[in-house]
Amino acid sequence: MKERRPGSGAAIARPSSARTNINTPRASFRSRLKRDRHLYLMLVPVIVFYLLFKYAPMVGEIIAFKDYRLGDGVFGSKWVGLKHFESLFGSLDFWRVLRNTLVLNVYGLVFGFPIPIILALLLNEVRIEWYKRTVQNLLYLPHFISWVVLGGIFIAILSPSTGIVNAILERVFGIEPIYFMASSAWWPVAYTLSGIWREAGWGTILYLAAMASIDPQLYEAAKIDGANKLRQIWHITLPGIRSTVAILLVLRMGQMMDVGLEQTLILQNQSVLDVADVISTYVYRVGLQNMNYSYSTALGLFQSAVGLILVIGVNRLTRSFGERGLW
Amino acid sequence: MGNPNRSRSIWSRLGTTANFVVLGFLSLIALYPFWYVLVSSFSSSRAITAGEVSLWPVEFNAAAYFRLFDDGQLIVAMGNTILVTLVGTLLNMALTTLAAYPLSRRRLMGRNLLLLFIIFTMLFIAGVIPNFILVKSLGLMDTYWSLWLPALISTYNMFVMKTFMEGLPEEIEESAAIDGAGDWRILAQIILPLCKPIMAALSLFYAVGWWNSYFNVLLYITKSTQQTLTLKLYQMILQVNQSLLNNSGSEGVESVMLTPEGIKAAAIVIAVTPILIVYPFLQKHFVKGVLIGSVKG
Repeated sequence: MKERRPGSGAAIARPSSARTNINTPRASFRSRLKRDRHLYLMLVPVIVFYLLFKYAPMVGEIIAFKDYRLGDGVFGSKWVGLKHFESLFGSLDFWRVLRNTLVLNVYGLVFGFPIPIILALLLNEVRIEWYKRTVQNLLYLPHFISWVVLGGIFIAILSPSTGIVNAILERVFGIEPIYFMASSAWWPVAYTLSGIWREAGWGTILYLAAMASIDPQLYEAAKIDGANKLRQIWHITLPGIRSTVAILLVLRMGQMMDVGLEQTLILQNQSVLDVADVISTYVYRVGLQNMNYSYSTALGLFQSAVGLILVIGVNRLTRSFGERGLW
Repeated sequence: MGNPNRSRSIWSRLGTTANFVVLGFLSLIALYPFWYVLVSSFSSSRAITAGEVSLWPVEFNAAAYFRLFDDGQLIVAMGNTILVTLVGTLLNMALTTLAAYPLSRRRLMGRNLLLLFIIFTMLFIAGVIPNFILVKSLGLMDTYWSLWLPALISTYNMFVMKTFMEGLPEEIEESAAIDGAGDWRILAQIILPLCKPIMAALSLFYAVGWWNSYFNVLLYITKSTQQTLTLKLYQMILQVNQSLLNNSGSEGVESVMLTPEGIKAAAIVIAVTPILIVYPFLQKHFVKGVLIGSVKG
């Protein structure tokens, strides 16, 4: 994390030279170590945690290059080189789950990304405070509900026999019941909508904050010049949130290899695996349910590696836009 | 801002009204699924299966709730969820504070190295399988430590707290240090009381996370007496889903025998209610947490 720039909200920049230390500012290595020994003591459990539960599993990734067997352990199992990667890249499953992961992400990006911006623009125009707050609270709500619950509700309302959506379609439009969750054509739509339902409202928070920091004088000046609401939005509000949009867009693109595991797992079922199976659910099914540990670790490692490259690339990109990078 | 007085005022008022209506409509859409489940849970199985339930309970009854509570399993699962959430959140807050406070002190030697050590774990994330093997070989399977220990610190939340602590005025702390207070006392008596808003926000984030998660329970907890509410729900929903698929012709009959929609709906209502009750009071803390987090980027 970079030291914050001047004026970046809660964290007030303070020139480090002004930091007069509790002891002498230029203390020696030993005396500084001694002075802060309690701080280091606090960090001991923290470092142990990161070593054991973050770094040790990274070392565990070596089983992607081994034939892992429970009895032999991570270090005792036989090395097999790139065998698992070869069979992975040669399998149809790999390309299927990779494609599904990317496709679902693209849907999420194309349909899911603009909606919070539009919602925030609408909310920003509401001048009646209690109404605005009520709408915000209702739109934020799904974000706090477990995917199990949201998935269960979604499956229930889309059910062909008992769901309200099909009941309406049948009664009002005379359409035969559609089994949305079991149709390869409809499943990605339902998936994307469920994601929007959960996150669109919550996603408005940062945009609303950015909009609130726009200088009201700009709007006053525009009004005097005769600009109507739409022109004000186009010429003042949107440029005012441009950098927020850019950062969030770039961050979103850094996550192209991730699909929410809990969301996908609850929504998917056997009959739509051709479109619904993504890397994480495939790793879970093949790795843990069928005990193909090494093979699925190879896939997981591929995912992590691409994810790392994406994040680093995206950070470069953000910086080249002249924005503050992620680090 | 809101003084419509020119010739455009009709249009602008119309636009305002349209905006009003659209937003109201959207929030109703966001809310309706919850309402639908609530009224389903109080309707008869027959009415649900016939697709007659939409806005109000049909053939009102609370049989689904009685069946769930008679069964007893759900109450056990609820207790488990509460235990996992409470202990998990306490451990999270303790460890997050222990990490955030020292790292927020700029005088700390090796601070940048430590930050790098931590940030790297946000960039490169080990997969599910190595984590599973680790938990298994540590002998944590079927204990709640398998859930708590690997998730002791959310690095993101830790950075939010660190950012907040860096923003506190240093003078208070320095005067305490001159008075001879050690780091532990400064943390407990000066820093933490000032951190109340961020502590509230982060505890809520952690607690909601624990309440809602199910994947790790699915991986690590196999005994049915230890399962949590969300996992019970997951199994119910999976059952209904699979049974619908196995005989897509007359799926209604079979699924009613397994887990009637009404019972599933009642279970969902039970799982959601605690969050709905605390939500109105806590909502502003959540927003604050997000905004402090975004300062850091």
